[in-house]
Amino acid sequence: MLFIHQYACISAQDSFPEVNLDAVIAPVDGKLFAREPAYDGIPKGTLRRMSKPVRMAIGAASVLLKTSGRLDGIIGATANAGMDDCFRFLQQIIQYEEGLLTPGNFVQSTPNAMPAQVSMMTQNHGYNMTHVHLGLAFENALIDASMLVDEHPGSKYLLGTVDDISAYNYNINRLGGWYKALNSHGDFYNAGTTGSIPGEGAAMFIVSSEKSGSIAGITAAETLHTEDAALVVDRLQTFLSLHLPNEVPDLLLSGENGDQQLLPFYEGCEQLLPPGTGVLRYKHLTGEFPTANALGLWFGCYILQHQRFPAHMVKVEPGVEKLRHILIYNNFKGLQHSFILLSGS
Amino acid sequence: METAELKENLKKQIIQFLNLSVTPAEIKDDEPLFGEGLGLDSIDSIELIVLLGREYGITIQDPKEGRKILVDINTMVAYIEQHRTK
Amino acid sequence: MSRIFVTGMGVISALGNSVSENREALKAGKCGITPMELIDSRFAGKLPCGEIKLSTPELARSLNAAQPGLTRTALLALHAFNQAVASAGLSPETLSYPSTVFINGTTVGGMCLTDELYHDAEAKENGSEYLAAYDYASIALYLQQKFSLSGLVNTVNTACSSSANAIMLGARLLQSGRAKRAIVGGVDCLAKFTINGFNALHILSSDICQPFDEARKGLNLGEGAAFLVLEKEEDSIDKEKLAELTGFFNTNDAYHPSSLSENGEGPFLAMQEALASANLRPADIDFINAHGTATENNDAVESKAMLRLFDSPPKFASTKSNIGHTLGAAGAIEAVFSILNLQHQELYPSLNCENGIESTGLMPVVEYTQQPLRHIMSNSFGFGGNCSSLIFSKV
Repeated sequence: MLFIHQYACISAQDSFPEVNLDAVIAPVDGKLFAREPAYDGIPKGTLRRMSKPVRMAIGAASVLLKTSGRLDGIIGATANAGMDDCFRFLQQIIQYEEGLLTPGNFVQSTPNAMPAQVSMMTQNHGYNMTHVHLGLAFENALIDASMLVDEHPGSKYLLGTVDDISAYNYNINRLGGWYKALNSHGDFYNAGTTGSIPGEGAAMFIVSSEKSGSIAGITAAETLHTEDAALVVDRLQTFLSLHLPNEVPDLLLSGENGDQQLLPFYEGCEQLLPPGTGVLRYKHLTGEFPTANALGLWFGCYILQHQRFPAHMVKVEPGVEKLRHILIYNNFKGLQHSFILLSGS
Repeated sequence: METAELKENLKKQIIQFLNLSVTPAEIKDDEPLFGEGLGLDSIDSIELIVLLGREYGITIQDPKEGRKILVDINTMVAYIEQHRTK
Repeated sequence: MSRIFVTGMGVISALGNSVSENREALKAGKCGITPMELIDSRFAGKLPCGEIKLSTPELARSLNAAQPGLTRTALLALHAFNQAVASAGLSPETLSYPSTVFINGTTVGGMCLTDELYHDAEAKENGSEYLAAYDYASIALYLQQKFSLSGLVNTVNTACSSSANAIMLGARLLQSGRAKRAIVGGVDCLAKFTINGFNALHILSSDICQPFDEARKGLNLGEGAAFLVLEKEEDSIDKEKLAELTGFFNTNDAYHPSSLSENGEGPFLAMQEALASANLRPADIDFINAHGTATENNDAVESKAMLRLFDSPPKFASTKSNIGHTLGAAGAIEAVFSILNLQHQELYPSLNCENGIESTGLMPVVEYTQQPLRHIMSNSFGFGGNCSSLIFSKV
């Protein structure tokens, strides 16, 4: 089992370094940009070479690395870190007609820059991986970490995700119809329109096989690709009967994102759970992006550790006082689904 | 262009090109660009060769040749004054 | 821990469109590196590349893949995937089981469409047919939908070690009990993006590359795809086994974003720990399919790491002299080549190396030879210090 010992995130809310979730910070120009800190902990010489996502990821990781001790490796997940540099390099290719180009953007455009950078900064020769499977990049990284701690008892890893809003991915997703119109009004979840609001952020976790001193543990995580809501519910039922056979989740942490088209998936999962199961939502705080569910896990850890959550997250009030088991369900673009079962330590 | 003005411009261009967090005044004319001084590395050296090409029309094919020119501001300016085509 | 066997494989590269075509070309010492023709670029007609001389529409026709928005990367992947699955005898039904997992390694993904991507990202007009294709995951998602894969599907990008890591990850999923069969490998195709990127770094050679030669001047890019089917011993009792995956290790050099440390700590650790994971001693390795990109940095550092680990380094070669550097696909294509070495007990010549690197005194294999081979190591190192080594053994 994978235990989470430390967690941090840089998001569009007041989540770093101190957490204050009471006041909701609203989108600006239809985008939930991350609130970046001053990055005092990162050497200036290193910082100048970092793109925004790498900077956010390293910034969030650095507070954990101060106390984490020696790590056995770094597991990263991102769908589009590096895309901004990629686009800048494309611009150079076109502007200078494949002539004299600066290589900096090209080198920084590799999505493995974040785990690589942490390795370099901490002289870590351990396991180093970057998962980039779009809306399941984070979940695949989580499964990788779960296997690693099973393979190497006593080992400890940094598991981290980051994605940013760049001109590249914003325009491409907007053209694809994945964002709400800029002038759309109304409640994030009940606007009755398609598309969501773009967001960005970095989430970092120190994970190990050791239960002692941990905040929460991940009993199981499963991923699925399908456009069939009934199949999702079916697989969720099997997932719960396998991994939480004699109990029920106290809470569903739902990745609902305001996109009307995706609602049947979330409602199907809600309906499977017995009455009294609370339902909380977080995408009005983070916006939608491929690794947003890592922030979902961050919220899950926060809720289990503090046994509280702000009222604006509640869709259905949980029926129990003490929260022990949280089911996190997310889907990305109606195709990539994941179930994560998180329990308090 | 006066040498002093060229030096000042070059420092500004280097800062902008390499995204350095220093002011032109903080870069000394005889301070090594690589290693101990500004702490630049091999990717920066290629970036500086591109800078010389785009700003001064200087073509350097071999990056190793570049290392002899990219010692400090003085050596860069001396080379620019001799070889610039724009 | 269960033993992991390779029960199927498929490959397409500049040397040929099938495993047997690739083997024949390797035996003959054929070089597939020729002036690039198929990309609209100022390098067209000049730059030597390991290009597959089938246009994207030709590829699509040969694969009966007619849907809009398919990239060259997706088509190359489909080609190799079909072959791997057929060679392992996996039925469409077996492919759709939750116990069948698929992991793709890629660095270019859909970015081969440099110009289309630029226009879509600028959002100057309505979106093109490729909006969903630029992502790294687009290839795995295409194959997931085409074959109704319902098990775990993943895409990894650790630069030039991507598909070596995909292979490793597949083996670990099998060993953890999360899967019964894993289709693993990678794909990349030539793109204006990577050509200009490596050119800007001054590590692209304008001549045909010379891995491990004192006078090497840089790498040639290539394109291709390869996939392996991995199964556990207990799940493949009646099946033909091509090789056993006996060892693997992933590490980071922790030195520089685009070059390896002088002492080759990452390459050294990857090889050393892969040996340990296979319970083998250095002397057990009969041959190394080296990363051997023909850059000044890689070949010197990889040689140094071999000299550190082995009292007397085993025979080695770089098949990048045949097909160029296929980036994210390299680890998987070279895994196929390593398995061919084992299956046929033969070594293929490394091309264009006349004088070994002086400071190392090492020379790659330059002639076709037949000899007993039990264990072969395949190295893949990438930007960001990602270093991985795999060990395949004769069955």
